[in-house]
Amino acid sequence: MGKAQIGATSALALHSLCAAGLATGYWLSHSLYSSSLITDPARTLRFLTVCEAPIVIFLFSWLRRDHDRCSFIKAVGRGLIGLPIGALINAFGAIVLGAPVGLKYWPATIYWSMLMSLLTFVPAACVFGASKLDWQHVLSYSKPSNVVDYMLLVPANGAILGAWLGAWPMPLDWERPWQEWPICVSYGAIAGHLIGMLLSPVLIFLHQRHIHTKTE
Amino acid sequence: MTGSDRLGSRPDTSTTRLISVRVRSQTKILSSISKPILLSCLLPFRAPCLSFARSLLLQLQSLHSMPSSKCSTLALGISMAALLQIAGISLFLFGFFPVKPTLPGFSGSESYQMPSCDSDSDAERADLSSEQRKFLYEELSGITPVYDRLILMVIDGLPAEFILGKGRKPPAKTMAEAMPYTQYLLANELAVGFHAKAAPPTVTMPRLKAMMSGAIGGFLDVAFNFNTQAFLDDNLLDQLYRIGWRMVMLGDNTWIKLFPNLFSRQDGVGSFFVKDTVEVDFNVSRHLDVELAAEDWNLLILHYLGLDHVGHIGGRQSILMAPKLKEMDDIIKEIHMQSIIPQKNSSSQTLLVVVSDHGMTEAGNHGGSSYEETDSLALFVGNGIRTASNGKSVNNEAFQVDIAPTLALLFGVPIPKNNIGVTLTNVFQSLTEEQRLKALELNSWQLLRLLRANLPRLCCDYSGSSTSNLNSGTNLRADSTGINFCIQYAKAVAAHDYWRLQNNSTLRSDYFHIASESYELFLRNASEWLSHRATDKPIHILLVAVVFMFFSCLLFVCLTCWLFCNTYNNLWSSEDIFIFIAIILHAISFGSSSFVEEEQYTWHFLTTTLYLIFLFTQIRTFLKGLNRNLSEVMSPIILVLISGRILRGWHQGGINWAHLPDISKLLLQLSPSTITFLHITSILSLTVLYSNSISILKSQFNLVLWLSYLIGACLVLLQSIKNNIANTILVDHGTTWIPQAVYVIGGISVISSLFLLPWISSVRRKKDIFLGIRECVYDIGSAYVAFWCLLQLLLQQPVNAIPVLLIYMQHRASVSLFADSVSVHKDWVKVAALYFLGLAGHFGLGNTNSLATIDVAGAFIGISSYSTVLSGVLMFCITYASPILSHLSMVMCISTMVDRRVISCKEIDWRTLLESTVAIPSLVPLVVNSVALTSFTVVLLLMRNHLFVWSVFSPKYLYLCASTVSVYLGVLLIAGTVFYTCYVFTLDKRKHQT
Repeated sequence: MGKAQIGATSALALHSLCAAGLATGYWLSHSLYSSSLITDPARTLRFLTVCEAPIVIFLFSWLRRDHDRCSFIKAVGRGLIGLPIGALINAFGAIVLGAPVGLKYWPATIYWSMLMSLLTFVPAACVFGASKLDWQHVLSYSKPSNVVDYMLLVPANGAILGAWLGAWPMPLDWERPWQEWPICVSYGAIAGHLIGMLLSPVLIFLHQRHIHTKTE
Repeated sequence: MTGSDRLGSRPDTSTTRLISVRVRSQTKILSSISKPILLSCLLPFRAPCLSFARSLLLQLQSLHSMPSSKCSTLALGISMAALLQIAGISLFLFGFFPVKPTLPGFSGSESYQMPSCDSDSDAERADLSSEQRKFLYEELSGITPVYDRLILMVIDGLPAEFILGKGRKPPAKTMAEAMPYTQYLLANELAVGFHAKAAPPTVTMPRLKAMMSGAIGGFLDVAFNFNTQAFLDDNLLDQLYRIGWRMVMLGDNTWIKLFPNLFSRQDGVGSFFVKDTVEVDFNVSRHLDVELAAEDWNLLILHYLGLDHVGHIGGRQSILMAPKLKEMDDIIKEIHMQSIIPQKNSSSQTLLVVVSDHGMTEAGNHGGSSYEETDSLALFVGNGIRTASNGKSVNNEAFQVDIAPTLALLFGVPIPKNNIGVTLTNVFQSLTEEQRLKALELNSWQLLRLLRANLPRLCCDYSGSSTSNLNSGTNLRADSTGINFCIQYAKAVAAHDYWRLQNNSTLRSDYFHIASESYELFLRNASEWLSHRATDKPIHILLVAVVFMFFSCLLFVCLTCWLFCNTYNNLWSSEDIFIFIAIILHAISFGSSSFVEEEQYTWHFLTTTLYLIFLFTQIRTFLKGLNRNLSEVMSPIILVLISGRILRGWHQGGINWAHLPDISKLLLQLSPSTITFLHITSILSLTVLYSNSISILKSQFNLVLWLSYLIGACLVLLQSIKNNIANTILVDHGTTWIPQAVYVIGGISVISSLFLLPWISSVRRKKDIFLGIRECVYDIGSAYVAFWCLLQLLLQQPVNAIPVLLIYMQHRASVSLFADSVSVHKDWVKVAALYFLGLAGHFGLGNTNSLATIDVAGAFIGISSYSTVLSGVLMFCITYASPILSHLSMVMCISTMVDRRVISCKEIDWRTLLESTVAIPSLVPLVVNSVALTSFTVVLLLMRNHLFVWSVFSPKYLYLCASTVSVYLGVLLIAGTVFYTCYVFTLDKRKHQT
């Protein structure tokens, strides 16, 4: 568990790498095809996914929980398997919550759920794998006890909450292009994720100070 | 959609469904039956509530074995809060939707006689031909019409300020320069213009009605017409039609909706494409040359929408405004040149009236009541028009409603019955003095008749002809308002009589001025009083009502908190917090008209999120190792989620996107046999599911119940097949016996199961009362649910059969989920989840917050003779199918709430039992509903001048009131069922002990 013992600053650094991945994806899609989320959501989401995926998978594979039994490559493999599984779960959630199912929305929905999977499920899949104990630990009510738990939970919850809140303006009759699926939901998810990434180092810092005082 | 006359265009988009076709055909019946139904539904539910409170207390006393202090406090609190809420709703409805008395029918020749104190004889001779009627009116009134043709040019959204200036200031230079010809007409006294103040809501359709009838309608008039737009009240166009006028209408199709069969030629344009400012007017003007040359019409209506659209895009100062004004000016010029100038000395004369329906704000919006929005124009252009040149400044402030009586008198037709406008005497300058006084007199008689409808004791029977009679001869039978009116009227009549008797010309002209001024004073006062009656909302009453509702809501919430403090000691779970947030979010969402229109999204989103949280909770419980079988609890949740999604896709719903494709529209395009197939499928599946839920062989009674259900299902099946055949051949109304048989069988089965099942199971489960009560409540609940769904399959449109089945499955799945994992979810969360499902299902069945989607046709199924009450009840059952179903399934769910610890074999803790079984299922829906109701009442109060108050907010308020009724009914049913069951078990236990 040596590598998992990281401080708030390194957590912030890792998170900013992830954020940089998102920014690069957006910038690439903008400069190559001059498409933004509003003009071409599917393509932009694809760029975001492609740029974010390696960063997230490599970073969190490096942070894998069971260092002794699991190699880096295996963790990367877990992340790659986790990506479609997480995408399926996210797509199910979105469609059940009312995302349109028409054929023309499929590309956008697929890339959106891939991105959501990267923001929520893939990091945990890389770190935990199929360890029931870890999942149980992280999903149970007790407070996160570990730095990596914070890094996983806070941004993921932020992304889900952000996406949920991002769907609220959709029924308004403002007739703005960004009210279409999945534009404002993506904005909400990314914004929530970024806020979570900012928040998690703070929580880690507080957590470590708490432990520090406790041990003293 | 910034505000493009949505009141006018909206129902058109929302009524595109099949339902609306059904609605239209039934409108007349409905408008006559709906008023008593709604009033009888909303106002007198005091009685059931009182009896509810009484029965609660009585029942509580009868269960004497328990320490009843807490229970009676709860019961007392609930009934107090309910009474307070009912009082609040009644007060608010009374204050917000004033029902002003109106006179029915059309004005006829009786309007040329002085109103007598006794009831007017409305003996109108119907057999007159239009030509005869025209001469009769002319003879009776003594006013020869100066004009025989009318061109009514409506410029949508034109503020009078653009042409007449504000106050004494001339219009802005750019505006004046844009309309040179109009300014020339005004400067040379060839035209007379008025600031015709419009009443809010300043939206096209109500304003056109006001212009044509001279009356300001209330909301309930609109609501009870169920969004059919044909104008049924007395109005100028119908009056003109009755004297044989031929009419041509070009422009906004609102006119065609209002007067569907009046025009001999018409070319309607839609006001839907707000971005279009050119085509919309070109489509009107392209006929102008032909129509001006044609001789076959008496009335030509031109309604130009372009200027309003310019306003919506760019506001008053838009760069498109000046060219648009120039275009309008050119049209006025063309009409004046072609139609009015050539007739200078001919006997036939044309009058051009340029009006606007409303003004616009600086930003180009309208709907409210600011000066900018209400400042509309009335401009009279004709050969006889001369502004009063007696040196006095012309008073050009008027009201929009004044247009109707002015035009009626100018063209020799009776003034519409409910007119509250005052004749614009400035337009009558070309008439003789006698005729002008006669016009004022006719207007006064009409207003007196209307005043008498409002003040039943008013009677100004002034028959004398000398001043000595002024006070003694005037029969004063009225209160102070009425007396004032009578005195003013009597003065005018006296002066009028003096004028008649005088020969001296100077005295004559003096008396003429006195008479006309006192007539106008009377008319103006009466008109203002009547218009206040129609539009004023007594704000203090509304505030008192809101305070009532707020306190009742507070009381409900406090009771709930009190109950929870005693029941739950552990921390808030994510479910609790989410339900809390959901209730608050829903209340907040009422602040936006879009969320009110598209409430289906809100409820679907919230309900689905709640079930996703359930899913998460279950997975967590599984991970913690507390639950062995994950798939058993996950499958009901996933079933609920998927059914919910299908329901969301079944009816697009709402208003803004109602036209988007959905499953129901797809099915309606397919052959009707597909729908019948689905209908039959859902009947069969429901039967299978119900048979699965009750153990038929457990008791003989269950078998009987199941058999009667089977018979009912067969009858519904028969009806469905019969309808399918009837649809293809001809509509057959003769088959009322099948629905009636279903009603009877269902009613008997449900009532007997309620009354007999407790006895049967109390005998069978002597040993274990816990199991007995559980089983009994569950059986009663499942009978309720199954028969209710069967009734819905009969009543709902066939296309809704699958949604009914889906909603049934959702409730069944939820109940089985809650039964399987008793301790995972708290009791109040279960109740809230069912209630949420009910509300989401309400929209899943195609209901919206617009009155257009109420299924009127279903309300007549199985009714052989016309009955207001029965069809009202059926309409309520159809509309509130899903919320009531959720209450019924709560009865089933209660069986999962009975705590084993409460009932040991020896002693029963009745207090806790009742608390957990009755208090929570009653309080939670009441709280959710009361929070929504109270917040929406506040929103409605704040939005009372909003553009959409009549189209969006008020219909939603009626829906909320009706849903409050459904909550009360559901709570009464739950409480009654559980009390009765428990009561039977106690009786039996006591017998057993003795």
